[in-house]
Amino acid sequence: MGTDRYAYQSRLRRVSPMPKLLLTAVSLVLCLCCDSIAVGLATLAGMGALTWLLGGLSPRVYLRFLKIPLAFLLIGSITVLIHSYPAEAAVLAAVPVGGRLWGFDAAALRQASTLFCKAMGAVACMYFLTLNTPVIDVTMALEKLHVPRLLVELMELIYRFIFVLSETAANIRIAQESRLGYQGLGRSISSLGTLASMVFLRAWRKADRVYTALESRGYTNHLTTLSSGYRAGRWLYPATAGVALGQILVLYLERSVGG
Amino acid sequence: MNAAIEARELCYTYEDGTVALDHISLKAQKGKITGILGANGAGKSTLFLNLNGVLNPSSGQVLLDGAPVRRDRKGIAELRRRVGIVFQDPDDQLFSADVYRDISFGAVNLGLPEDEVRRRVEQAMERTGVSALRDKPTHALSFGQKKRVAIAGVLVMEPEVLILDEPTAGLDPHGVSELMRLLSQLRDSLNMTILLATHDMDVVPISCDYAYLLGQGRVLLEGTPGELFSQPEVLRANQLRLPRMAHLMEILREQDGLDTDVSAATISEVRRELLRLLKQEGPT
Repeated sequence: MGTDRYAYQSRLRRVSPMPKLLLTAVSLVLCLCCDSIAVGLATLAGMGALTWLLGGLSPRVYLRFLKIPLAFLLIGSITVLIHSYPAEAAVLAAVPVGGRLWGFDAAALRQASTLFCKAMGAVACMYFLTLNTPVIDVTMALEKLHVPRLLVELMELIYRFIFVLSETAANIRIAQESRLGYQGLGRSISSLGTLASMVFLRAWRKADRVYTALESRGYTNHLTTLSSGYRAGRWLYPATAGVALGQILVLYLERSVGG
Repeated sequence: MNAAIEARELCYTYEDGTVALDHISLKAQKGKITGILGANGAGKSTLFLNLNGVLNPSSGQVLLDGAPVRRDRKGIAELRRRVGIVFQDPDDQLFSADVYRDISFGAVNLGLPEDEVRRRVEQAMERTGVSALRDKPTHALSFGQKKRVAIAGVLVMEPEVLILDEPTAGLDPHGVSELMRLLSQLRDSLNMTILLATHDMDVVPISCDYAYLLGQGRVLLEGTPGELFSQPEVLRANQLRLPRMAHLMEILREQDGLDTDVSAATISEVRRELLRLLKQEGPT
């Protein structure tokens, strides 16, 4: 939900979600398919720059967002990197443990860093979408792409009521805490159980009331609404082509230098 | 004067056997604000849901402009178009995370062309003063702002009758006066008929032209606010009270033996009354 707050402030907020979705999808697919360190890094830099220059997000905030997946990716890459080798294998760095070597060789290093860079590039592509497009616009685009309406409507309702429910849960939690409901493990567990059942009950009752309110506004099994106007954002199509071209160019350069 | 909406001998019993409405008859005059007073559980909300066609009465009729509403699909759709409800908790009503899209919902359901929907959304946002909130997600709004967006979402259907359930509950004093001003504007400029349920008694003499007192699903009293306040014992028996100003007049009359008009319930009425008394006292 942190990203959504910035999406509302983005300069691209009013641009139609379709071209943004396309740019994200094309760059994401290319980044994953090229399977290369250079393309990954170039995608990361390129999409980061677009988020900064087009969306107007400050680089500091962007770097803070990058730190979140960084921790996961580092742990993930390390597990790919470290292998066990026979004692006389050619390794780059390793520790002997009981007659075998634990460490990595050149191939493993290459594999792990490719994975890492590819993933960072992919994250940057997704960030371009999420930091410039509110969830509600993404669902609108999904509807245009003929994703089943029921699914889209559910996504919209769930997104809206996550906030209502989390507010309810937070209020109950405060009310419990103010009466010392979380002192000691036993009491904490029992309070948490009460909280969970209360939130469920309230959600149940709320659903009833929401349905009544929808009905009174002429609900006929479809949550059709009209969104505030979008700017077409056609200039994002050439930008998409430019990014794709850049990615392929980087791949070509890497291959020709490496080969 | 013709009634914009009228309930005639309306009865409603919930599935569990609770009698919520027991032969209720009331009228809301066109272009007036009618107050529905009553304690919690007096049947106000059930009455409103019957008037808007969400609930079907067990017996009795709802009349719009003197014509009984048919209880078939078309009749109900017509009723919901002409009678709009603003619910007490805006979080029950706002289902979309986008302010603009939420407001557009009712108008889209009317099957209007896009241009007309957009025109109405703009107009409703302007009337309720939420134009500046269009780019904000619903969950970032304050309670008072949500309330206004909820009202805009009903105004967009351009109903003839606007029903509000406890509109002032949870608002700060500034929010209350802003809301009451908005309702008076809708009444005066659009000749809209407004029904509002409340137990905020101080609001009643200021904004309501006529009022009904409900209790145990029945109409106990009706009249102008002044007429209702001249029977404080009935109000008190129904967990209500006099407005503070009317209460002051009652105390001055009963405990201090002053000849006050107990139906004076607003600051300006009480002021006039006190000045009159002071002038009477003057020469002696």
